[in-house]
Amino acid sequence: MEYVSPEGLRVDGRRPRELRRINCQLDVLSSADGSAIFEMGNTKVLAAVFGPHAVTKRSDLKEDAAVVVCEYSMAAFSTGERRRRGKGDRRSTELSMVIRNTLEQAILTELMPRSQIDVYVQVLQADGGTRCAAINAAVLALSAAGVPLRDLVASVAAGHLDGTPLLDLNFAEDSGGGPDLAVALAPRLGQLVLVQMDSRLPVDTFQAVLDLARDGCRTISGVMREALLEHTKRLAVARGMVTTSS
Amino acid sequence: MSAAAAIGKVVGPGDKVLEIPAQGTLRLSAGLTTQEGAVVSTKGGVLKATRTGQLYLEGRQKRYIPVEGDVVVGTIVDKHVENFTVDIGGPFNAVLPQLSFEGATRRNRPNLHQGDLVYARVVQAHRDTDPVLSCVDAAGRAAGFGHLKGGMVLTVSSSLARQLLGSPTAPVLEALGSGLQFEMAAGLNGRVWLSASTAATCVLVANAIAESEFKTPQQVRTMVARVLSRIG
Repeated sequence: MEYVSPEGLRVDGRRPRELRRINCQLDVLSSADGSAIFEMGNTKVLAAVFGPHAVTKRSDLKEDAAVVVCEYSMAAFSTGERRRRGKGDRRSTELSMVIRNTLEQAILTELMPRSQIDVYVQVLQADGGTRCAAINAAVLALSAAGVPLRDLVASVAAGHLDGTPLLDLNFAEDSGGGPDLAVALAPRLGQLVLVQMDSRLPVDTFQAVLDLARDGCRTISGVMREALLEHTKRLAVARGMVTTSS
Repeated sequence: MSAAAAIGKVVGPGDKVLEIPAQGTLRLSAGLTTQEGAVVSTKGGVLKATRTGQLYLEGRQKRYIPVEGDVVVGTIVDKHVENFTVDIGGPFNAVLPQLSFEGATRRNRPNLHQGDLVYARVVQAHRDTDPVLSCVDAAGRAAGFGHLKGGMVLTVSSSLARQLLGSPTAPVLEALGSGLQFEMAAGLNGRVWLSASTAATCVLVANAIAESEFKTPQQVRTMVARVLSRIG
């Protein structure tokens, strides 16, 4: 199957360095302290944040920092074929741990000792890049909840097919057998938070794919920041604190 | 950019707010931290300054983080020998000493039970310990603190609670006050206690307050006028 046409178009008509359309919605759940829906093309992920609150399991209590608990799950209707997945299935457990480790680096946990922050991420529609969309949704939900963050961490998956580095793989490209490099970046600090890859990639091509992913992360972080500022401004404008022209 | 020029700026997490000036003092409060010689925000919000010149970030949160000096509406969860455990909607339950009420002595303790509401101020809010409350002001007088009898509790966000407590008076309260009689105790923890002569009035006031969060003052006045005209 051809993933990049001779004219340079991918299976969905994008250019190799093009991201899918992004859509962010904040405060979508009234019961959660913070919530967000993040859409990257057809991939749609819902994140809900509860906390900080007292730890539920005393054995998890940390005297000097907050405990971050993360649960990733995929809705049964999220893929093309309805498949009921158990909570404990290996992929979900692994992704929960990956997302938790990424968020723990982004949150200023030292400001909230002896407390716990719960992050629940559910994939509503899966079309490739679910772990990246999950991280982005979780970061937006944490911002909406007012949890102190070091930076607006953003994440994207990049790959390499038909000799071209590709940004933001969808499901068809992901299943193409090429490498899938998931990267999370803290743009203002310029630090990589997550680098995860499957399959194989020669070292010289790896740098090109990594740089492409970093650029993608920076762009996505900018889009997330715009959505967050819009959300914050809405309240400030209603209160007359900020004029619409600024 | 000086501190005065940055007031009113809307920022997101990790944004650089201003450079630390070479001279003078800068007092930072909630939501701001320093990194590499610049003041950086840790959450989304609007930069504001208190009357005393402290810079802080006002965002909209549902979970309350206790700060010393705040007034809060709490629910008594437990009664111990020396103090009450109070739920203030924060990460941890607060401690309210039994003697922190006006006229309370070892023989004459306050008659409060589990489920009662209290209006208190936060005396101690260190991040490593449970917050401590008090139902008297610094001089030892009640000053409006203490047991809240009857009424209902409305849960709002931190920014709406701040608006209800701020000056000038929030437009929704002014508009409602011109047509209805009710009592209100707003806590910065997002809990608002309301009491009126009838339950209907109470519910009306609660709905009006909840609806006023994202409306401009003019829209609020129109909404309240419409509601008051309908009830006659």
